[in-house]
Amino acid sequence: MNEISVLMYLLSKKSNIFQIGASEDEILKALNFKDKNKSIYFQNLLNQFSKYIEPLGLQIRFNPLNSHWYISFDSDTTEIISANPFNGKARLAATLFCTLVCCFNNSGMTQIQKIKELRKKKDIWEDLKELKKRGFIEIDKNLNHVYLTPLIGYLLDLEKLFIKISLELKK
Amino acid sequence: MENKDLSEEINEKIENIRNRVLSREISLLDVELVPLFESLKESLTIYNINRYSRSYDNAFQLLSQKFEELKGLLNFLDNKEKFVEFLKFNPSDDEIFELFNGCWRETLNFDVLSLKFLELSEEKLCRDKRAPFSIESIDNTFVKGSFLLEVPTKRFTEKMMSFFDEIKAKLPCSYDEIFEYEHDQLKIYEKFVYLLHLLQINKIKYQKETKYLYL
Repeated sequence: MNEISVLMYLLSKKSNIFQIGASEDEILKALNFKDKNKSIYFQNLLNQFSKYIEPLGLQIRFNPLNSHWYISFDSDTTEIISANPFNGKARLAATLFCTLVCCFNNSGMTQIQKIKELRKKKDIWEDLKELKKRGFIEIDKNLNHVYLTPLIGYLLDLEKLFIKISLELKK
Repeated sequence: MENKDLSEEINEKIENIRNRVLSREISLLDVELVPLFESLKESLTIYNINRYSRSYDNAFQLLSQKFEELKGLLNFLDNKEKFVEFLKFNPSDDEIFELFNGCWRETLNFDVLSLKFLELSEEKLCRDKRAPFSIESIDNTFVKGSFLLEVPTKRFTEKMMSFFDEIKAKLPCSYDEIFEYEHDQLKIYEKFVYLLHLLQINKIKYQKETKYLYL
């Protein structure tokens, strides 16, 4: 066993439906690295590992929503396997988008009423239940609140989405 | 002036900045790169141009990294507004769905990798290796007179049962664990024969699926 096998295991493990990969601390602990230069060591290690897996069409990514490092397929491979969790379900994608907007404006949590207002729909309950089932959100029925789980940070390229929105707005 | 060579000094400075950024001591956005390029420009001559190409390359890498960070920061600053602004145009569900297209990622989940297996492999790899056995040729000796075959002091069954008593507290366990602390090959062989007999007479049982020996 070497660092590569440990990294491959840690970055590709799925702890639950919305928890993939590992945090920097978890990785350093698994590698038993305690030196004061551990951040530099960590970055260099990830750089090296990234070079190893690049020819396989894989990339190392960081999920800012839970500070976890994980492995994803590169954009070319993703295009081939057409990763779209909402194929044929535009309604669900639209509700997720409005939930995202509301949550981003309120530190990852929002009221169901606010999503309804933004979505301009009377009933979004079924959509929210489906999004919960798919692991994108958590619902607090008593408080009427919706929380974003880290899943969206894994599955969605937010930077690309922002660029697409900017281009749409320019049109 | 002609022979002034600051390339090493500049490379060290760049390396230092890079390390401080990686250790999150500073942000690249706070680092002033102009003095670095100024010193490169001022000290570059036809005599040291060979050594300076690497320094220029390193400095430009740092600069492009800084541009990327700046781009990310600018994007972040007005993203929230862009989202809301977009929704003000009352886009249809299909338009929003289309917006998501090409932005999805597929994660790699390698659930077949097992940490237990990795740990076991590590343990086996780290175990001290025994020195290889040396095979020595036996000297032929002539024995004068009568020759008596050496008879063991204890009977086979007694020895086997004492081995059984020795290991039964360990059971159930794997085959490896039985001989874990035994380094003498002859002893291992002897005990292995006992083990085979114990299996034969059903004193000990073996489960194929788990590769465990049990009572």
